Amino acid sequence: MSRKTRAIAAAGVALALGLTTAACGGSKSDDNKTSGSGNGKSAYNAAITSVVNPSTTKGGTLNLWSAQDADFWDPARGYYAFVWNLNRLYTRKLVDYASAPEKPGLELQPDLASALPEISADKKTYTFKLKSGIKFDDGTPITSKDIKYGIERIFAQDVLPGGPVYLIDILDQGQGYKGPYKDTDPNKLGLKTVETPDDSTIVFHLKEPKSDFLYLLAMPGAGPVPQKRDKGAQYNAAPASSGPYMFKEGSIQPGKGAMWVRNPNWDASTDTIRKALPDQINLTVTTNAEDMDSRLIAGTADLDVGQTGVQAASRTKILQDPTLKANADTPTTGFIRYAALSTNVAPFDNIDCRKAVIYAADPTSLQTARGGPIAGGDIGTSMLPPNIAGSDTKYDPFNRLQGKPQAEEAKKALTACGKPNGFDTKIAVRNNKPAEVKTAEALQAALKAVGINAAIEQYDGGNISSVIGAPDNVKSKGYGIEIAGWGADYPTGSGYLQPLADSRFILNNGNYNLPLIKDTSIDALFDQAAGETDATKAADVYSQINHKIMEGAYYLPFVVDKALNYRNPRLTNVYIHDAFGMVDFQALGVSDGK
Amino acid sequence: MSLGPEASVTDEESALTADAAEVRGPAEKAIAGRSLKQIAWRRLKKDKVALGGACVVIFLILIAILAPLLTKWFGHPIDEFHNETLDPTFGTPKGAFGGISTEFLFGVEPDSGRDIFSRVLYGAQTSLTVAFLSALVSTILGVIFGLAAGFLGGWVDATISRVMDFLLAFPQLLFSIALVSVLPYEMLGLNARWSRVAVLVCVIGFFGWPYIGRIVRGQTLSLREREFVEAARSMGARSPRILMRELLPNLAAPILVYTTLIIPTNILTEAALSFLGVGIPPPNPSWGGMLSSAVPVYQIDPMFMIIPGTLIFITVLAFNLFGDGLRDALDPKAR
Amino acid sequence: MVAYLIRRLINAVLTLLVVTLVTFGIFFMVPKLTGSDPALLYIGKTADKVAVEGIREKMGLSDPILVQYGKFLKGIVAGRDYANGPDVQHCDAPCLGYSFKTEQEVTPLLMDDLPVTLSLALGAAILWLIGGVTAGVISALRKGSIPDRAVMFIALAGVSLPIYFTGLLSKQIFVNWLGWLPEGNYVPFLESPSEWFIQMLLPWITLAFLFAATYARLTRANMLETLGEDYIRTARAKGLTERIVIGKHALRSGLTPIVTIFGLDLGALLGGAVLTEAVFNLRGLGYQALQAIRGNDLPVILGVTMIAAFFIVIANLVVDLVYSAIDPRVRLG
Repeated sequence: MSRKTRAIAAAGVALALGLTTAACGGSKSDDNKTSGSGNGKSAYNAAITSVVNPSTTKGGTLNLWSAQDADFWDPARGYYAFVWNLNRLYTRKLVDYASAPEKPGLELQPDLASALPEISADKKTYTFKLKSGIKFDDGTPITSKDIKYGIERIFAQDVLPGGPVYLIDILDQGQGYKGPYKDTDPNKLGLKTVETPDDSTIVFHLKEPKSDFLYLLAMPGAGPVPQKRDKGAQYNAAPASSGPYMFKEGSIQPGKGAMWVRNPNWDASTDTIRKALPDQINLTVTTNAEDMDSRLIAGTADLDVGQTGVQAASRTKILQDPTLKANADTPTTGFIRYAALSTNVAPFDNIDCRKAVIYAADPTSLQTARGGPIAGGDIGTSMLPPNIAGSDTKYDPFNRLQGKPQAEEAKKALTACGKPNGFDTKIAVRNNKPAEVKTAEALQAALKAVGINAAIEQYDGGNISSVIGAPDNVKSKGYGIEIAGWGADYPTGSGYLQPLADSRFILNNGNYNLPLIKDTSIDALFDQAAGETDATKAADVYSQINHKIMEGAYYLPFVVDKALNYRNPRLTNVYIHDAFGMVDFQALGVSDGK
Repeated sequence: MSLGPEASVTDEESALTADAAEVRGPAEKAIAGRSLKQIAWRRLKKDKVALGGACVVIFLILIAILAPLLTKWFGHPIDEFHNETLDPTFGTPKGAFGGISTEFLFGVEPDSGRDIFSRVLYGAQTSLTVAFLSALVSTILGVIFGLAAGFLGGWVDATISRVMDFLLAFPQLLFSIALVSVLPYEMLGLNARWSRVAVLVCVIGFFGWPYIGRIVRGQTLSLREREFVEAARSMGARSPRILMRELLPNLAAPILVYTTLIIPTNILTEAALSFLGVGIPPPNPSWGGMLSSAVPVYQIDPMFMIIPGTLIFITVLAFNLFGDGLRDALDPKAR
Repeated sequence: MVAYLIRRLINAVLTLLVVTLVTFGIFFMVPKLTGSDPALLYIGKTADKVAVEGIREKMGLSDPILVQYGKFLKGIVAGRDYANGPDVQHCDAPCLGYSFKTEQEVTPLLMDDLPVTLSLALGAAILWLIGGVTAGVISALRKGSIPDRAVMFIALAGVSLPIYFTGLLSKQIFVNWLGWLPEGNYVPFLESPSEWFIQMLLPWITLAFLFAATYARLTRANMLETLGEDYIRTARAKGLTERIVIGKHALRSGLTPIVTIFGLDLGALLGGAVLTEAVFNLRGLGYQALQAIRGNDLPVILGVTMIAAFFIVIANLVVDLVYSAIDPRVRLG
């Protein structure tokens, strides 16, 4: 089953909310016109709904900054959202997300493939034809075998851990393939479910229909890797490029940054997605986020690629200055921050005790603990983020939007649960996430008011998969409440909800269905959605699943995550890409040519 | 003391006693017929600065003990959230100087609105407990090993001296962080707050003993050859008796001084570990932890940093003043 | 002399061995005692069984601890190889290990951070030595005067201030309120000496203040003691000018202990000024160590501990040698 490590990454892949954000972000107060799909002028939250400063001017150097280094530049191993986003510079895939703000950005377009795949009638065979004229940075043509080899590398988890493993689950089909390094096939192309009848054709055989399969092929790990240049774990120090930019030789410096220059062998006519405007792109990793903020505001840095929001001091500065504010956006990152209520820990086996927690929680103090309405996010009401089809921001079954704890309701629920005077429980929280610890404290304080005494237990954040991700451990430690956050790896209802609510996704280790939801009707709905070709009908199914999860009172959503980011006014073609919940880096250009 | 966060590895007192031959036993000065205690007390009474330090120390101990009561009278529970005191957009305290008012004497914590007054009181509890107990651990270990090394000599002395040298030549702060961070938050049936206090006491106390140990060893070495010890031995007293009746009383003064002087260092170390995120876990307050959570917001809410920082400063200063005075009183030549 | 040197060197090596063994022991034993798996600590966010096995194999985690320790030592002396997919990766001596978390060798990683720590420690050392000793000497010569009392009070306040507080406070005052200095971001000396200087100024002053306070107290105490010695009285009686008495005789023996402590302090700082680097976001050894500890990156933790212990041990050695050279009372042997 898929591994839900995404939410653990410091900045996981996130999906952004397009339209709704502008409405709740407070852009009304702004003097600039934010109306409609944009006049291209910079304004507060304008990049969420439109392309700011559209331009085709080439040249100049783009100065990207980050307060956090990439996890891995190796496309098979990276898992941070910003790294996936940056991969668009140097890793092309069979299909990739379109270059556009809002919903159109979520559309997958053929990239290395000449067209979307031919799918067999039983929806189990996908056949792609490659474009001609596609080359790596050293001039060698990209063949279907390079793509297959790239995918095979994901299977070598012993050498290349770190990245998503969805493709292993789907393509292995009992073969027990161990990756190309342990492959007995002379060409190291022993994975049986992927065929390359000729250099420009690649065929995938699935065991059962999987409507989300194309999204998995759009992940960087499904990009081509030339076998000759693969040095195993060391590939990370110099990945090959198939995109418009390649790493400048020796420019990858762990903890310090990287540099990209134009890839002379990239042919613009083969690429309908990328614009490739700047001549060079520099990424500087800094240890001082405050320094990065002041450089952004001073205009000596262009963009924070982490896109996790400016520091508190700059937040105040930006929001209080209309000129600065006009260059800032607060997109939702696609994460929901929540507490899971473990059904295998008494008294949370009782739905009313779970409801008591949800009613007793103080929505406002939880929101403030996450950073408030602008830097933290909107008060969470259900478990589907607003951009994913099927979500409904007005659906508020526990009446959380009014912002106050509901002691009366909580007391009623406690009585129904047979614990009118409250009970004792534990809150498990990662020690390396200050905001999560703060929410745990806020929740603890609110629960105390209705007699629920929750002790906070911190654990090493690195061990999440074996601490709260292991149901046996949760039961023996008595972790009734677990603080977590989740962003989808690909923007569909099952991409988001299945790991959180499908009983078949419960794992002994690395589990993310934390409440251990075992509801056959929910499982059945997921199956129904997987076979649903009509997007509107699928959305309706996801909506039903969301309702069922909330009716079961399994999760207490804190906030729908947001981040306040600043962009240099000289940047052109700025828009928030909904697949990442952040600016689409590959589209950027600079207006002054410097 | 070297655990003392990034402070000089050697303070003047250990420098002076580094060479055993140079150590002047305080007992030497007790010749005027008056007991050392009386002389010291007379001197201490005259030292206004040291007395001032002592008063502040006593005051701090009192407020730490009375923290629950004071909180009840003048503050709010340490874990009570007060959203109404915060700016809804930024999460910063409403009003000037971090929201200081008659309701919240020291203002409120950003992002939660918890009462800083109550939290620093409980922080004093933690800081002082850790500092005193770890000083106690250091002293006990230091006296045992220092006495053993100095009195028994030979290979025992050689071994203990090597261990002390080794511990002093050790990246201690790094090591404490590493050690504390791999230990579980709850153990020995204690809750998170007190089990972490126990861990801190052990770690800080352990790294502190060589300082006391070296001094005790040096003093013992010189006392061992004194006439009164010789006399006791010639009268047939056995080693334990000599240790307990002859040596220890004469060691009491330096032990007292260096125990007092190690306390402020321990306060700084505890705060440093909490600052680095391996100290007392939230929601339990500690001064270092408060400074640590002030880091992201110190620019927009400086009071949140200034209050715990100033408290650490005052406390450490008071202990240092008192300790200095005590040393001067017991051994004026050391100055 | 030679025999003494050899003995000291052997002692130094032994100390280093014990430091590594203890560090090694803690990081391999404690997780076992508390029931977590070191291999899991390594990969952190993934829990894939294959990946865990891969790490275990690469790190040799299934070997007995002494075998692992032996391999680590061999790496330092002779370099070692790591299996990494299709390639065997060679790590040249002195190989402090390989961080699987960040896919890089520890030695070059730490060598990269060393200049930052060096800049910080050396710059601050110069400041505190000049400031502290001058203040101490003046104080001692004017014992009991108002400047003496002021210096001593400031010095006592100085040793009572935690650097994570003075660091934040000075940033707030000089960067945010007065705007005299920029937000810190280390610039290498070779890239731009002036930028480097400006960036390091605040960390230097903050760190030096703490030490200067200790040194002022120490210098004053030593000077007072020396000034009371017979030979100073003799020198004065001989009719030597005060300048010569102080400059030639008193200072020389009064400052001898300072040399010792200076060496030890500098040695300790070179191993990473954890707090200063954390407060000022300087990516030096201490900062790296902190990151490594938070991310459970054992090879890096071990590496920093090794380097830190190395500096401390070397400093001890140098101090002893210098001491024996300048203080005739110390016999070698």
